[in-house]
Amino acid sequence: MSVAINIENVVKRFGKDTVINGLSLDIKPGEFFTLLGPSGCGKTTLLRMIIGFNSIEGGQIKIDGKVINDIPTNKRNMGMVFQNYAIFPHMSVKDNIAFGLKNRKVSKEEINKKVDEILKIVKIDHLKDRMPQKLSGGQQQRIALARAIVIHPEVLLMDEPLSNLDAKLRTEMRNAIKQIQQQVGITTVYVTHDQEEALAVSDRIAVMNGGVIQQIDTPKHIYQRPANIFVSTFIGLSNVINGVLESNDNGKAQVRIGDYRFTMSNIKKECTQGPVKVSIRPEEFIINKETKEGIPVVVKSSVFLGVATHYFLETKDGQDIEVIQDSDLEELIPNGTLIHLKVQTQKINVFSEDGSRSYIDRGGRA
Amino acid sequence: MNTGKKKLNMWLVLTLGILALFLIFVVFPIGLILYKSILMEDGSISFSYFTKFFSKKFYWSTLINSFKVTIASTFVSAVLGLIMAYLLRSIKIKGSKFLNILIVISYLSPPFIGAYAWVQLLGRNGFITRIINTLFHTQFSGIYGFAGIVLVFSLQSFPLVYMYVSGALKNLDNSLNEAAESLGCSVVQRVWRVIVPLITPTLLASSLLVFMRVFSDFGTPMLIGEGYKTFPVLLYSQFMGEVSTDDHYAAALCVIVIVITLVLFFLQKFIGNRLTYSMSALKPMESQKASGLRNVLAHGFVYMVTLVAVLPQITVISTSFMETRGASYTGKFTLENYKNILMPKNVTTITNTYLFGLAAILLVVILGVLISYLTVRKKSFLTSILDTLTMFPYIIPGSVLGISFLYAFNKKPLLLSGTAIIIIISLCIRRMPYTIRSSTAIIGQISPSIEEAAISLGATERKSFIKVTVPMMMAGVLSGAIMSWITLISELSSSIILYTSKTQTLTVAIYAEVIRSNFGNAAAYSTILTVTSILSLLLFFKVSGNNDISV
Ligand SMILES: Nc1ncnc2c1ncn2[C@@H]1O[C@H](COP(=O)(O)OP(=O)(O)O)[C@@H](O)[C@H]1O
Ligand SMILES: [Mg+2]
Repeated sequence: MSVAINIENVVKRFGKDTVINGLSLDIKPGEFFTLLGPSGCGKTTLLRMIIGFNSIEGGQIKIDGKVINDIPTNKRNMGMVFQNYAIFPHMSVKDNIAFGLKNRKVSKEEINKKVDEILKIVKIDHLKDRMPQKLSGGQQQRIALARAIVIHPEVLLMDEPLSNLDAKLRTEMRNAIKQIQQQVGITTVYVTHDQEEALAVSDRIAVMNGGVIQQIDTPKHIYQRPANIFVSTFIGLSNVINGVLESNDNGKAQVRIGDYRFTMSNIKKECTQGPVKVSIRPEEFIINKETKEGIPVVVKSSVFLGVATHYFLETKDGQDIEVIQDSDLEELIPNGTLIHLKVQTQKINVFSEDGSRSYIDRGGRA
Repeated sequence: MNTGKKKLNMWLVLTLGILALFLIFVVFPIGLILYKSILMEDGSISFSYFTKFFSKKFYWSTLINSFKVTIASTFVSAVLGLIMAYLLRSIKIKGSKFLNILIVISYLSPPFIGAYAWVQLLGRNGFITRIINTLFHTQFSGIYGFAGIVLVFSLQSFPLVYMYVSGALKNLDNSLNEAAESLGCSVVQRVWRVIVPLITPTLLASSLLVFMRVFSDFGTPMLIGEGYKTFPVLLYSQFMGEVSTDDHYAAALCVIVIVITLVLFFLQKFIGNRLTYSMSALKPMESQKASGLRNVLAHGFVYMVTLVAVLPQITVISTSFMETRGASYTGKFTLENYKNILMPKNVTTITNTYLFGLAAILLVVILGVLISYLTVRKKSFLTSILDTLTMFPYIIPGSVLGISFLYAFNKKPLLLSGTAIIIIISLCIRRMPYTIRSSTAIIGQISPSIEEAAISLGATERKSFIKVTVPMMMAGVLSGAIMSWITLISELSSSIILYTSKTQTLTVAIYAEVIRSNFGNAAAYSTILTVTSILSLLLFFKVSGNNDISV
C-alpha cells in the first residue's frame, strides 16, 4: 500500500541562489524519514519541493515510480502538517478535518465516519464541534495531524511540527506522532532541526548541511558511526581532538593523542598514517586516576545530575573537554585535580584531518 | 507556485483585467488632463496656461491663500488632535466612549456642512452673532474669510489626527512613559520629548491626510470664504463658471494641484520612513484618574472641544425642525422641511445616495480584496505595477478626478458622462487606495501556510481563496467597508462636478439648497445624511467589536 519516494538529483534555485544543487535520496515505503540539519540548510525547501509548493529546477521526484514534477499540489495526494498548524480559524474542528474529504467528493456519511475514526486515533473526539482558536497548541497540533492523514495521503509531510510547543508537550506529541504514524503506516517525511527529536521518532535520518546530504542512516548508526565531523558534532556532543594515525597493519591501527597511544581494530585498511581527527563522545572516556596513561587534563568544574556526573576539563593546550560518567558512590573529583583520560577504543570515531571522511570500517556501510 | 498553467492563468487574467480598468479609469483621464494642460487651441504644445497662472496675481494669490488656510488648519488640527488623543488616552474622562463617537461623527460629515452650519451660528445673521451683539452692543459682522475657513477645517479635521494618534498611543508601551517619569520628566516634557517623537510618523501621516483634504476642498471656502478665494474655488469656477469656462486652463490648474499633492505625498513618505519605530505595546498606556484642578481642566477641555466639534451637527439637526421664511428662521417647530424634501414624487436624491454608495462599496471591496491579494500573494512585475497604480488616486483630489472624468468620458465609445456609472466609478476609485491598504494589512496577518494547507488537502487555488482566505478576511473587510460607505455618502467634490439632475446625491442637494438659501431643506437633507452616518457607525462598532476606527 505504502509508496516509495525517490528524489533524483533535484536542483532548487531562488532567483540566482542555488539552495539545493543535485540532491538525491530514496525513502522506503512506510518509512518514517527525517530531514535533520541546522536552520537554513534547505530542509523546508526540499519538503516543499516534494509537496509542490516549490518548483523543481532540475532532476526529478518520483512517487511510487511516477515522476510528479508537473503534478499540481492539490492532485499529489500528500498530507502536510505545518509548523504553525495552519488550522482554518473560521471552521470547527470537524470542518477542518473534513475539508480535504469534501474536496475529494466523499459522501456525507463516509465523511462523518472517517472524521470520527480519525478523531479517536488522535484522541480529540471530545473537541469535535469546538472552534479551534481557543484550543491549546497540542490540541491544534492533533487537529492538523488528523486533517492531514484523514485523506489517506500517499505521503505525510511534517515541517517542524513540534517547534511551537513547550518542552513537555513536545515529548508527549512526538511519541503520539510516532505511534499514529505506525498505526496508519504512511510514508512520512519529517523535518526538524532538533536532533533529539529526530533520534526519537525516525526510522532513518538524513543529516543535511548547506543543501547537501551528509549522511543517511538509522538513528543508532548516525549517532554511533557519524560519517564526518559535521554529523558527529551536530548529533549529540563530541570532543574533537587532533591525533595521529601512526600505523595501520593487519587490522591493528596505532593511534596517538599527545603521548597517549592506543590500538584500534576497526580502521579501514586503505587509511594510511598521518594526522587525524579523533571524535570522542563524553561517555566514551574512561577516567584514569591511578596511572599516567591517557590524555592529561585538569578538572575545571563538575555537575552532579543524579544518573550521571558531568566533568568539564581542560587539556594542556587549553582545549575544553566534556566527560560524562555514571554516578557512583565516590566523591566528585575536586576542581584543579590533574587526571588522565583513556578512551573506549571500540566506540570512538576517527576522521580524516579535514573532517570529511570517517576512517572507521563499518563492514560495508558507507 | 507550481500548480499548473491553467491556475496561474486565472490570476494573470485577473491582474490584466484590473490593470486594464485602472488604465482606462485612472491613467487615461489623468493623462488626458496632462495633455490638455499643454495643448493650445491651435494644436501646438506650450506651457502658456501655466505662465498665465503664475503671471497674474488674481490667479496665483489663490494658491497662496490655499496654502495659508491649509497650513493653519492642518497645524490647529494636529495640535488639537494630539492633545485630545493624549488626554483621552492618559486621563480617565467620564463618558469617553460617547465622546469618542461624537468626535468621529463630527469628522464623518462633509466639511461644507460645517461651513454652512457655522454661518448659521457665527455668520452675519447667526444665532451666536446676534447674541453677542445684543449682549455686548457690538457690531460683530460674523466670521468669514480666512478665520471662518480655518475654524471650519480645523474643527472638522482634528478628529482624523485624533483617531490616528489615539491608535498609535495605544501601541505605545507605557513603560517608556514610566521610564521618562522616573528620570524626572514633567508631564509636558514627557509628552514633548518621549511621546511626540514616537508618534511623529503617525502625526505626519494623518496631517498629510488633513492637508490634502483641506487643500482640495472647495465647498467650505465657497460657503464661508466670501472674498477669500482659494485654489479649488478658482478651479471650480474656471471649470463650471457662469462667465467663461476654459477647459485647457482648468486642466492646467488640475496639473498644478496634482504636482503639489504628489510632492507632499513623497515628502511625508520620506520623513515618515526615517522616523518609523516599530512598536508593540507589552503594557499599553492606561488612562488614569487625575485629581483636582488637572482633572477639572482635562474634562473641561475635552468636553468643550467635542461640543464645539459637534455643534454643526446639532445646529443642522435642530434647524431641520425649524420653520423658515426666506433665509431666516421664525423659531417655530415644524416638519415642513421634511415634507418638502420627502413628499415630491421623486426622492431619487436619497435613493441615489444609497444606491451609488452601495454599488461603489461592492465594487471597491471586491476589487480591493482581489488587488491586495494579488499584490501580497502573487508578487510579480505586473502586480507591482498594479500596486503603484492603485495607490495613485490617493493623491488625486476629488475635483480633479471629476474634471478628468468629464474630459475623458464625454465621447463615444466611452460616453459615460451624465450616467450613474460615472459617479459610481469615481467614488470607487477615490476610495480604492484606502480599501486596498486595509485589505493588505488584513491579508498580511493571515499566514500563507493556511492556504497551502487547503491546497495540500486537494483544494484548487480558487477554492482555497474563496473558502479559506476570503472568509478569514471577511470581518476586517466588512468593517472597512462600512467606514468606506460612510465616507462615500458624504463625498461632494467629484460628485458635484459629475452630477446631473438625474444623478443628484444628498451632498450635492445640500450644497445646492444652501447656495439657494433654502436652509430648511438643506438642514433636512443634512439630517438624513447625519443619521445615516450615525447608524452606520453604530453598525461598524457592532461588526468590528471594538472602538478602533481607521479611516
Ligand atoms: N522563497 C524563498 N526565496 C528565496 N530564498 C529562499 C526562499 N525560501 C528559502 N530560501 C533560502 O533557502 C535556504 C534554505 O531555506 P529553508 O529550506 O527554509 O531552510 P530550513 O528549513 O532548513 O531552515 C535559506 O538560505 C533561505 O534563505
Ligand atoms: Mg524550515
